[in-house]
Parts: sequence; C-alpha cells; structure tokens
Amino acid sequence: MTKSVSIEQITKKFDSSVAVNNVSIEIGQGEFFTLLGSSGCGKTTLLRMVAGFLQQSSGHIRFDRKIIDTVPAHERNTGMVFQNYAIFPHLTVAENVAYGLKVRKQAKGDIDREVRKMLELVRLDHLAHRLPRELSGGQQQRVVLARALAIRPDVLLMDEPLSNLDTEMRLHLRSEIRAIQQQFGVTTIYVTHDQEEALLISDRVAVMSMGNVEQIARPGDIYLNPQTLFVASFIGDNNLIPVEIEALAADGTASARLPSGERTEARAATGQQLTQGTKATLSLRPQDIDLAPAGTGGLQGKLTELQFLGGTIKAFFDLGTGKPVTVSLQGRHGTQIPVIGETRSLIPLPGATTLYAGEVKA
Amino acid sequence: MTTSVTNNRLRGLLSFWPIVTLLALVCSVFLLLVPVWNIVSLSFAGKEGGAGVFENYVMFFSEPYYYRSLINSFIVSISATVLALVIGIPAAYIVSRYNIWARSLIKTAVVLTFVSPPFIGSYSWVILLGRKGVLTQFFAEWGISLPSIYGAPGIIFVFTLQYFPFVFLLVSSGLKSIDQSVEDAARNLGSGEARTFFTVIAPLLLPSITTGALLVFIAAFTDLGTPIILGEKFRVLPVLIYGEFVNDFGGAPVLASTLAVLLLIVTTGALLLQRWLARRYAYATAAIRPLVMQSPRPVKRIAASLFIYGLILLALLPMVNIIISAFLKSNGPVLVAEFTFDNFDKVWRLAGGPLKNTLVFTTIATLMCAVMGTMIAYIIARRPGKISALLDTAVMFSYAVPGIVLGVGLVVTYHNPPLALTGTPLILILAYFIRRLPFSVRSSVSALQQLSKDTEEASINLGAGPGMTFLKITVPLLSMAILSGALLTWSNTIRELSATLVLQSGRTTTMSVEIFNEVANGNFGTASALGMTLIVLTFLPLVLLFTFMGKSEEALV
Repeated sequence: MTKSVSIEQITKKFDSSVAVNNVSIEIGQGEFFTLLGSSGCGKTTLLRMVAGFLQQSSGHIRFDRKIIDTVPAHERNTGMVFQNYAIFPHLTVAENVAYGLKVRKQAKGDIDREVRKMLELVRLDHLAHRLPRELSGGQQQRVVLARALAIRPDVLLMDEPLSNLDTEMRLHLRSEIRAIQQQFGVTTIYVTHDQEEALLISDRVAVMSMGNVEQIARPGDIYLNPQTLFVASFIGDNNLIPVEIEALAADGTASARLPSGERTEARAATGQQLTQGTKATLSLRPQDIDLAPAGTGGLQGKLTELQFLGGTIKAFFDLGTGKPVTVSLQGRHGTQIPVIGETRSLIPLPGATTLYAGEVKA
Repeated sequence: MTTSVTNNRLRGLLSFWPIVTLLALVCSVFLLLVPVWNIVSLSFAGKEGGAGVFENYVMFFSEPYYYRSLINSFIVSISATVLALVIGIPAAYIVSRYNIWARSLIKTAVVLTFVSPPFIGSYSWVILLGRKGVLTQFFAEWGISLPSIYGAPGIIFVFTLQYFPFVFLLVSSGLKSIDQSVEDAARNLGSGEARTFFTVIAPLLLPSITTGALLVFIAAFTDLGTPIILGEKFRVLPVLIYGEFVNDFGGAPVLASTLAVLLLIVTTGALLLQRWLARRYAYATAAIRPLVMQSPRPVKRIAASLFIYGLILLALLPMVNIIISAFLKSNGPVLVAEFTFDNFDKVWRLAGGPLKNTLVFTTIATLMCAVMGTMIAYIIARRPGKISALLDTAVMFSYAVPGIVLGVGLVVTYHNPPLALTGTPLILILAYFIRRLPFSVRSSVSALQQLSKDTEEASINLGAGPGMTFLKITVPLLSMAILSGALLTWSNTIRELSATLVLQSGRTTTMSVEIFNEVANGNFGTASALGMTLIVLTFLPLVLLFTFMGKSEEALV
C-alpha cells in the first residue's frame, strides 16, 4: 500500500555549505509531487535523503507518520528511477524487473507473473529476454520504471528520468509516466529542472532555490500566483520592473513609481509585505499587456525590437527601466503590429500586476 | 526511540562493509605494518655494532664494506634508469608512430622480456658472455675480446634490457592519450618533427616518463637475483641483506634489518617522489583523435627499424638461449652441442615438490588477492572517509616494501610461537598476497571509477543489502577487471624470488628457488629446462589476457 511522505524541517550540510535548508513538505498518499529547480538547488539531495542514500543533518522523514530516519536505504521500499537509467547491464530485461522481487524472496511463479505484467504495462513484453545494450534509451528507462514499480514501492522516486532522452521520446514517456502513476496510485516524488515538465505532470510542485523551498502549490497557482520574487522570475516569461512604493492603501493596493517617474497601482503578491518608501519589484507577464495608442493611459513605452515567432509576436518596449519590457502579441490575422520607434500605451489586464518586496538580482 | 537508534547503529557496525574494512586493516597491520615495525625496531635495539641506539647505522656508514653497497646500488640503478629511458622512449615513439614492419610482434616481444624472471635473464647472459660463454669463446677465436658480463657493467646491461619495457609500455600508453591536433598545431606553427617531440610531445609524456623511470629505478634497486649471479665482488644492498640474513640464521637478523630499513627508505622515497611528480605533471588530456601513424622517409625508416629490431633481438637473446640450452647436454656449466631431453628429467622430479608448491602457492595467493583486492578497491572507491584513506595508504605502502625487506620482516615477526609460521606454506602465500595486493586493488579501483554508482544504488533501492549488491551487481560488472587483475597477479607471483629465498624452507621451496640453486651449483642445462618451464607458466595467463580478453600490452604496468 502506498504511503504518505512527511519531510519535516530537513537540513543537509556538506562540510560548511548548506545543500538543503530547513525544508518541510507534506506529500499525500497517491500524490504526484515534483521538486523543481535549477542544478544545485538541493532537489536531488532531498530526493536522495528520502531514498536513504544520504543522511540528513537534522530533521525527520516519515512514511505514513512513521519516522524512517535510521532505516537503511535497502529497507525503505522506495522504487527509484535514475537520470542515467542505472539499468543492470549484465541482466536481461526480465531479470532486471525481477531483481527486487528475488531480493524479497518471492515464489518463482509469482515473480514470473509479476514481471510479465509489468513488462506489458510498459509495452516491453516482447523484449523480455534482451540485454539492455540492445535497447534504446527510452526502452531502458521503461525497464527501470517497471523494475521500480514491480516491488510495489511505498513511494516512487524519480530523479530527472527524462533528461537523457531526445525531445520526442521525452514528451512521449512523460505522458506514459503520468498515466502509469495514476493507474498505480503510487505516491511519487519527481525531480526535474524542466518547468514545463513539472507543470504538466504534477499534482503539486515545490519550487526550490539554493536549498530553500520557495513555494509549494498546484501547477496553475505556481504560474498565476507566484508567491516569491524568485518564483515570479523562474517560472515562465515575465517582466520584472524595479519600482519604489510611494503609498500603501488599507485594502493592500499600492502606488508604485517606475524609474521613468510614471506611477501604477498594483496589489502585493500573496504573502508579500510591502513598506512605504522602499524598493520593490513589479511583475507583469508579457501576455497580460494590451497595447493602445500613445497617451491613452497605462505606461508609455517606445518599441525598440520586434521578434516574429509565428503564433506569437514579441514586442520589446523601452520604458526607461533599464531592461526592455516584453509584450506578447498574438500572431492573428488583423493584429496590428506596431512599428519600431513608435510610442504606445501599455495597459495591464486588471489584477495582473503584482508587487514583491525587494529588488531582482541582476 | 533511543534504543532503536542504538540498535541501528550497532547493526550498522556489524554489517558487511565495516566487517570487510576491519578485516582489510587487520591484514595490512599484521602482514605489513608489524613486520616493518619489527625490523625498524630491531635495527635500533639490536646489539650488533655496539650499545647505542644508532650504533648499527653508525657502523653501516663508517665501514666501507657496508656503505659501498649503498653507493653501488645507486650507481647501477641510476645508470640502468637513464639507459632504460634513452632506449625505451625512442623505441616506444618509433613503434607507436612509424609504420615499421611487425609492430605487434615487437610489442609481444617486449612483453615477453618484461615478464620473464630477471634472474633467468642474468644467468642466460652468463652462458652467453661469461668467461667460458658461448659468444665470448666465439669472438675470442676471431681475436675479439668482449667486455665482461660480471660486475657493475654487466648488472647495468641486464637491468637495462630487463626493465626498459616499463618505460616502453608507459610511454606507448601515454602516446595514445595525446590528440593528433596537438602535433598538427605545433607543425602548423612551423616546428619540425624533432622540435615538436621535444617541445610538445615529450612534456605531455612527462607523467608516463617519470613513472616509468621510477619503476625502473625501484625494480633495479631491489633486485636480488641478478646482482647475486653477476655481481661477484661488486655487492649491492639487497645482496648484502640476503648475505647478512643467511649469516644470522637462527639469531636475530639485526644487521639484515638495518640494511633492510635503508633499502625501504630509498624505495619509499622513490615512490613518494613518483606520486608527487605524477600529480605535478598530470595534464588532463583526452585524445579524441589519437596520434596517427607516419610513413617516414626510407632512410629514417630503415634506421628506426634497425634500432628496434636490434633492441628486440638483444632483449630476446637470453630467452632464445634458455630454450636452446634446455635441450643441450651439459657438463656442469659447460654446454655441449648435443641434443637431449635429460635436462627435463629434473622438471618431472620437481613436479610433486617445488613445481606443485609454486602452482599451489601462486594460485591461492592470486585468489586471495582477487577477493580481498576487489573488496578493498570498493571501500577505497565507494566509501571514502578517513578509514578508507588509511587503507589506501597502507595498501600503497606495501607497493614500496621490497620483497627481501618483507621477507626479513615476516621472519622476524613470525619466527617464534605463538605464531611460528616460518617454514610453512602459509607464510609464503601471505607474503605473495600482501606483495601483489596493490596490483589487484589498483585494477579494480580504476574499473570502479568507470562504473556509475547509480547501478549499485538501484540495487540497494530495490531492497538488496550492501553485501548482496556487491555480489550480484558490482562483482559481475567488474568480472573482466577482476579476471585480468588475477591473471596479471598470477604471472607476477609465480616468478617471485627475493621474498621466497628468505622465507622458504626445504619443504616449501619453489621453482624460482630451484632454478637459482641450479645456477649457483653450475648446472646450467637443468637450470635452463626449469627456467623454460617457468617462463611458459608466466606467459600462459598473459596469452589468455591478450588473445581472449582483448587487453593491450599497456595493462601490464
């Protein structure tokens, strides 16, 4: 039976550097949970602590409320899928899948039945007696998935399982993994640096940066309501404009002054505390901006560059903020494409601008 | 809660790898550190030269009879090293770069010289160039007197031919890791072949060259058989150690220990120097496109071919001589030109004794090396930490302890009850085991470094404990490396002489000692028959290694 996972105030130090900093996550039974971040953010370190390959410096890990801190890796009953497959090259496909079952000393008949079932599931039953070197990367990774699931793991752990595959195989296997996970209902912790993959495959995502968890939320919330400046800049394209908070209203709206001197009204992002008179950052996604003739309200910007990408057109406007502001236009018939050098009014969609305390790092 | 943590800790300590680590540490302490410690303390405490702590050393450095041997050792070792470089580097360059005829045969011949027991080579040269030697007499009839094979020049000559393969093989493999683009760049910038070699190729080869040089030096400095056979009045340090050890038989070998410590200091120093140089001059080079073969101008090609064929002929001559003289009637040290199988009678007579001993001891020691070496390699490569580093150092130290030093140390340590092992087969097996352990460890460590840790972690993750994972995943994946390491161990152990001379008793004598005795007694015909048998036994596993396992000659060094 699959289990819930509690990560409680986990910290991992290597010598003097902190790889994972006081992270707490509750993962429900059967949930597909993803740790998302760029390399070195601590996501793999965290996964390896759950697997038992690393020992945390402090904090507890529980499976179904039971502390497993001192349980050795081979007794944790987690099925793991590795970035570079870690297939056993000297064993056939069927022997690879049977490995964990043999270790558990199951009866031969049961093992054979289970192996066949698992290989059918990943559609490799016709390759059961091949050696791994005769298989493609995608096939090898499916063998490893079948091998990890065959032991009926309490938790399935996946460490960038798709990053060594080519794009087509990656997209294909991505949906297959999700479908199989749903079918098994197995609690899954998935590690990736690919945000599209994370948003598409997961029930919930934890965005990590420099050992810290920045935000834990459903994929839609991560994108639409980033709660920290890091998440706002990390997930998706975004315009981050340095501003100064001039006034704070009682209802949470603030008046922000841009470097150009223009002012705009915006709300603080969830959980952000703004202070009057301090520097802050205004977030506005490129597709949340409408263009209007110059001088019709909003922010005035001069078009400096156009990138025609087919379905979308990226227009770069100079607002005197240092970095140009991107506006994403739809490449539809009848779309009025502005001319370089023109000045336009940039009008944000209502509620689309949010403010974060602090400045973006260059 | 607290008890469960304690239980887990306890279980952790009693689990597979900690037990193996402990076993490995016990091995190196009892077979290496204690014996070395004992000879060191004997050299200070023993009363031979006088009463003071340093008396033995004071005597060594004040008596010319003693200190001359150290100087002699340096003279022959340094000369042989320089000559081995002068011959080995161009030979490796020519065979690797020029399309001269029979290149793979040349490599095989180099390997053959390399693995043949050195003392057999020396006495073969005595048959050829001794006072009544075949070649000496042949040339004397023409009025040409050849230089003597005895004394320092002879020893240097034999050492050079015996040990230049170290340089040849290391430089050959070093050349393989240089990219053609490096040479092209130098040539493109206007540098000729010789200039390119000295300014670009040779500097990149420095790690191989220094390693080769120091291996030649250590081998020459610690060799016992050759200087005993060829030295006559020219005594080197190992010969003196052996002499003093035999003199002291029964008593505490105080002087032998003192000399052994001096020998150990030199070899340890050379090894440390080698490790330092290797690190200092290591360039991370990876050849995407290795150096290509060249077709030099005819004159150059002929000159290069003559040099190589001449060298190979000279190096193979003693072996050819052994094979011929094994089938010749002999009258003591004088061989008669008459065909016979009589010499092999002795081989059959020894079959149940020394020959069996040799095979049994070698096989057991090889198996022990394979098992223990693989496990120690795993600890070093996969479980880094203080204890693992300690183990690494201990194993590498055994590389620095010459056979004769180890022999004397083991005798000093295990001569008296409760562990009276001298004269038993066990002490020889243990000596072979600890001497060859670094080779097995090194071959498995480099194989493990090529192997991704993920595969083992996948096994752990699927529920197999550390021991089971090692057996079912690591060992099968390392099997080729373990096997090739074992074959090399076998062929290196079977010809061991210096530790065996010290440790054997009549009951546990081996082929190498028998050959040595036959030579000492002047029975050259029999010695050749035995020598040929030993060379065949040495070469067999290498044939397996090269033909069936696709290993290249460079695997030897």
